[in-house]
Amino acid sequence: MVFILGNNFLENRLLKHCLETFYGIGTKHSTRILAKFSIFPGARVGQLPTKTINDITAELSTMTIETDLRRKMRDNIQRLRDMGSYRGRRHAMGLPVRGQRTRSQILTARKLNRTDRAN
Amino acid sequence: MANTNCLRCLARPAFPSPNILNATTRAGMGIQRRAASKLAKPSNTQGRKNEKVKGQKTLRIKKKAPVKTGKPPAPGERKAMRKRIVLSNTNALEVEGLRELDSKMLGEWEESVVRELQAGEDDLVMQGALGLLEGEGGEAKGEAKVVGKVVALMGSTVDSLRAVEAFKTTQGWGLFRRPGLLIREESVALSKKLILSEEGGVLRLVIDGERGTGKSLLLLHAMATAFVRGWVVVNIPEAQEVTNAMNDYAPLPGTTPTLYSQPSYTATWLSQINKANLALLSEMELTLTHNLPIPLQSNISLSRLCELGARDPDVAWPVFQAFWAELMAEGRPPVLLSLDGLSNVMRESAYRAPDVSLVHAHDLAIVNHFVGYLSGEKELVNGGAVLAATNRSHAPRSKSLDLMLTQLLEAQVGEEEITEKDPFEKGYDSRVEWALGVKEAEASVEADVEGVETASSPSSVKEVKKEENVEAAVEKVQTVPGPVEVLKLKGLSKVEARGLMEYWAKSGVLRKTVNEQEVAEKWALAGKGVVAEIERGALRMRI
Repeated sequence: MVFILGNNFLENRLLKHCLETFYGIGTKHSTRILAKFSIFPGARVGQLPTKTINDITAELSTMTIETDLRRKMRDNIQRLRDMGSYRGRRHAMGLPVRGQRTRSQILTARKLNRTDRAN
Repeated sequence: MANTNCLRCLARPAFPSPNILNATTRAGMGIQRRAASKLAKPSNTQGRKNEKVKGQKTLRIKKKAPVKTGKPPAPGERKAMRKRIVLSNTNALEVEGLRELDSKMLGEWEESVVRELQAGEDDLVMQGALGLLEGEGGEAKGEAKVVGKVVALMGSTVDSLRAVEAFKTTQGWGLFRRPGLLIREESVALSKKLILSEEGGVLRLVIDGERGTGKSLLLLHAMATAFVRGWVVVNIPEAQEVTNAMNDYAPLPGTTPTLYSQPSYTATWLSQINKANLALLSEMELTLTHNLPIPLQSNISLSRLCELGARDPDVAWPVFQAFWAELMAEGRPPVLLSLDGLSNVMRESAYRAPDVSLVHAHDLAIVNHFVGYLSGEKELVNGGAVLAATNRSHAPRSKSLDLMLTQLLEAQVGEEEITEKDPFEKGYDSRVEWALGVKEAEASVEADVEGVETASSPSSVKEVKKEENVEAAVEKVQTVPGPVEVLKLKGLSKVEARGLMEYWAKSGVLRKTVNEQEVAEKWALAGKGVVAEIERGALRMRI
């Protein structure tokens, strides 16, 4: 098991996939991090020296990811809500925000749009 | 809407007749007429067949779980199976009277090289690969018997070739009793050039040609020649493995522009080099002092040095550099540096620099090393050759490489107008143009022409004739260092095709009489003798 930013990962997992499990890191950021430390895309977590893992953890801790990113997003929605804007209201009502029609499919909006949005 | 009930008696039918239903569901004009026609013939639409009725039983077939037989292959087993090279087929017949590609045969070629030189044919050497081939035409002498014959590879050569991964899975080695090579005109010419280059002049050659024309096999032939002649062979078997970002990499400190080493690939490569050239390397001892990150005894052999590098990927690259410095020291044997799949290294690699831009393949230390020698930037001090083969079936297209090859070929043949860059085309690569040095090529082609004139002048011929010593004669007519030569492979000649098919027939793989008609048919169907197509037509697609 390898410990990256408070999470444990199996040694045979790809580092790129491990990084992408963090909220706020996708293909772009994981590619950037790999490039920064000159790690090839097929590297497994277990192959890397501890120093590199520590460097990656340090890099991740400077980024706005996970809880910080979630809080940031919630704050943004809350701001809209507090202003009393249309977008804020739509968020609060769990309805589509960007002018979509609401006649048939608004499942995603119902699931996600709320003032205390989780992800 | 028509009523289903009888209008006279107001009684409902117990079971509504389908005919009535049919009639009544049709609205509009002409109901009665249609109803009458429906009544006349029995309806065959008795309700929808696929309609689900509640409580109706349907046939449900449960999927069976796949039966587990044996245990699944272990990690790496499938890949090993995929990469497996079979070099022998015990069911194939042994071909009698098969000559071996040994030092005796190469000695004959060497003699003929010397004879040609003494006969004043030295200009052939100057003109590059094609010139040599054209000159070969009518007056092939000692090797005429061998051209179009299949020769077997010696056991030791086979081991070495296997170690440098010269055999590929796509080639049909597994069909025959023992590995053999067809000797074609080009391969004789190449062997002769290799023999010539032993004396210090370096042969730099790109083997190009359509798909299936035998580029990789010509490379293999060159390697086999080199092994027999006692050269050190350093081969990059598959260029895409170096550039496709499947190996770890690390920036080399203190290099501008930054070069990237590939520790594990280099380690494996070193062990391959060691295994292939074991007999030679184990007899060579260190002569220089090296500053390596590992402690090193001063009296170890080069083979041991390679082992040390192969054992530890972290020091593999410095060890390789030390190994190479040793090879370039005085009194070492010639070196054959070869690579298959050139276009993979003539473009950007899949690796990324810290600023997320793609690393150009020439910035990978291994490729940089190879390209340095191919472009003539660095010299193989003890003689030898730098060969590269292109790949035309599974390789990226490099526009610049294609352009360079065309230009070099045109310059080689001596065409007046040389193809220029398409001004509307994007995607040319200046580094490729630098590496294959077309300007340098043009300049040295002129030099070549001058050289030919001087060589054919009576004084130099006399000089050559005076020299009875073979080596001195060889030394006189070195190629002018300059262009990368291009050898454009085409299909086999009919003689060669016949020789090959006769070998197949003797091996019992081709069960047909090999006559002129059969050969001509296969040769024509294979796009004028493209050798892989002949094989496909004759051996693999047999019904």
